[in-house]
Amino acid sequence: MKDKSQMDSKELEYKELFLAEALENHEELNRLMTELEKNSSNKNAINALFRITHTLKGNASGMGFEDITKLSHTLEDLFNEIRSGKLQVDATIFNDLFKAIDTLGALINSLKTGQPVRYQGIKAKLEVIIRKATENNEVISPIAPIEQPIKTKARSGKNTLVTKATDSPSTLAPVHVQERVAPLTATTGATTATIEPGVEQKILPQESTIGNQETEKPDTEKVDAQITFSDLVQVPVKKLDNLLNLVSELTIERDRLVAMHMGKLSKNEYSRLQRISSDLQYSVMDVRLVQVGFLFNKFHRVLRDAAASENKKVSLKLEGTDTEIDRNILQIISDSLIHLIRNSVGHGIETPAERLNAGKAETGTVTLRASTDKDSVIIEIQDDGKGIDHTIIRKKAIEKGLISKEAASQLSEMDCIMYIFEPGFSSVDQVTSISGRGVGMDVVKKAIDAVGGNISLFTKVGQGTVIKLSLPSSMAVKGTLLFELDRTEYAIPLTYTEAVGCLYKKDIHKVGNGLVATHLGKTISIVFLKDLFALNDYSHHSREGVFHTSFDRVSPDEKLSIIIVSYHNRRVGLVVDKLLQQKEIIEKPLAKPVDVVKFISGVTILGNGNICLVLNITAMISYIFRISNTATQLQSLSA
Amino acid sequence: MHMNLQETVPTKQPVSAEAAKHSRTQLIVFKLGKEEYGLAIDQIKEVVLTPNITRMPQTAPYIKGVANIRGNIIAILDLEEKFGISDKTIDSPVVGKYTLVVASEEYKIGILVKEVPNTLSVSKADIDETVSIVHDDKQDSNYIKGIVKVNNRLIILIDIYQIMNKQELAQSLGK
Repeated sequence: MKDKSQMDSKELEYKELFLAEALENHEELNRLMTELEKNSSNKNAINALFRITHTLKGNASGMGFEDITKLSHTLEDLFNEIRSGKLQVDATIFNDLFKAIDTLGALINSLKTGQPVRYQGIKAKLEVIIRKATENNEVISPIAPIEQPIKTKARSGKNTLVTKATDSPSTLAPVHVQERVAPLTATTGATTATIEPGVEQKILPQESTIGNQETEKPDTEKVDAQITFSDLVQVPVKKLDNLLNLVSELTIERDRLVAMHMGKLSKNEYSRLQRISSDLQYSVMDVRLVQVGFLFNKFHRVLRDAAASENKKVSLKLEGTDTEIDRNILQIISDSLIHLIRNSVGHGIETPAERLNAGKAETGTVTLRASTDKDSVIIEIQDDGKGIDHTIIRKKAIEKGLISKEAASQLSEMDCIMYIFEPGFSSVDQVTSISGRGVGMDVVKKAIDAVGGNISLFTKVGQGTVIKLSLPSSMAVKGTLLFELDRTEYAIPLTYTEAVGCLYKKDIHKVGNGLVATHLGKTISIVFLKDLFALNDYSHHSREGVFHTSFDRVSPDEKLSIIIVSYHNRRVGLVVDKLLQQKEIIEKPLAKPVDVVKFISGVTILGNGNICLVLNITAMISYIFRISNTATQLQSLSA
Repeated sequence: MHMNLQETVPTKQPVSAEAAKHSRTQLIVFKLGKEEYGLAIDQIKEVVLTPNITRMPQTAPYIKGVANIRGNIIAILDLEEKFGISDKTIDSPVVGKYTLVVASEEYKIGILVKEVPNTLSVSKADIDETVSIVHDDKQDSNYIKGIVKVNNRLIILIDIYQIMNKQELAQSLGK
């Protein structure tokens, strides 16, 4: 039994490895195809396409995935035809090729999902293309591509080979002779005269049908001759997650031990342990980093499709692709990036005619740029399109009832544009297939918030838009400020804390349903965290003056500890019981059933084994400002 | 638990039905309020002394908070409060000395109990699954799987996974 399960797990691991590689291959195919589409005579791309489909076929047949084997085989055939020059690349082929590659991707995915994928149709279509190509070739230019290899071979004059070619051309495909010329020259024979045009023509029709099966033979020979080991090891992400979890627990255990023996032993006793364990932690985090190019390269295809369906001309520029970021963060934001790129094409870039009218180049450019800034990774999506007009946004926001007319008129241009990130905002009148599906930028913003990132936007009408995402490079460790409330410890990520301070009751004033105070000359909202957490019904502020409850109880000479947090240019002073120290924590996500709690993004285990809740400031600030009427009043006050 | 009946008793169907009646199942039995409740043993991972509980905002009152049990973050539930059967006459400071950790990959929950729970082996025949309970629109009673009657004891058999179904939780969060 054990053996069997072990075998299963091995099998599973192979499958995972195959999947990982196949997905990579598929992505590379997409990238190469877009490259080929730009420049159909790109020999390197064609060769690479052939090579990758060949590898994929080999891997799939090794794993016994019939469908993938068959389709990639046909694709390989087709690329081979293109490679040998018999098949001309034109627009009609591209549609079928892209479709075939999509189907291939679906087949690969179906290994995971188990959903059946139909591929026979597109496969047959490709076969027709191949057949047509070979037939045409026979009539129009029968020997041009094949002539050269044969000649080279003839010159090298290997006897056996020539005879073979004459007797049974099926055993060796002429195409591969070309590749094998170098080793062949080693053995020299004599007869060259046997090669005649007639022979070549005889080889030709055969070659197209069997050429590729034969490929394996010479290839394996090559591999056998020199076994090379990759310097890289592929590891399933799950294993890395597990490793990180263990390291986190080790760190917690270390802190616990240190806390327990505090005072008994000198601190130096632990310094080595401290250093090794924190080195270990950073090493594990480092392993999880991947280059953003890994994701960026997928966008060639996304952009191409978006541009094609909008009839726009757009090129994609990638910068800083070697910037490193945690793999899980990259995964979480990948959908957002797709959305942003589609938006750039759909809303940003103008049609070729409009661009020419505006005195711009016909082809628009979308730039994806990554860079590192301290502990965060900055990803920018820039387009040179028409920019965002704040007057339109303002109008739309009022129409959709997101803001009152009076309040809107007092918003700055920048604040106004930020309304595109509000739920229910979509600025396109007509729903297109690319963007404007109702869900939009708010979903993007949520995803960025979820990883503790930030989104900002710069735009100039007529010149373009830059959307800037600031993301943590690693998800694991967060700098936080700890505080106490009701004898429970909480943490606030330092990303959101602006200042700490203390106030007395006289500094705080009731305004509407809320409280305000002055901080550095600015009016800020004050919320007693206790009141926010005491709410039973979060759907609306059920009782009047809920945010006054604790304030009313405070005695005039009590010193109130305040943490000023900010998000999206909205500032709130949170009143807590006691400020504690700053601490780097490892945040664990919440599991079901408490994962629905909005105000808490996760937890961390403290040295004493207790759980410390990490506040989700973005959710809290959104909540405070969204529903509270006070907030709207306040905003107009402070604006 | 219809364990390989065909193999062990290959003769006639009535016999296997008879065997099914006699097949036994293990329960974890604990007291909630004044009644005894039971859970299938495979729904429980372990029983531990209740650790320090950290309260969690935005949750239903019966979710007492989260606790660290062997590095896992477990949500601690007070079923007495959930079922509305808290014995308010006894003012005990101890909410639940022990916690039953539920075996689930998806949900991380623990159930507070006051006394050490027992295991009980019962015959399937002793489980009456056809009980109809007075239906209350507010209290979804889907989680009651049946009533077990052995030795003059009445044990309410519940399905913890049913209790945790999404809908109910969404309601409890007041959304």
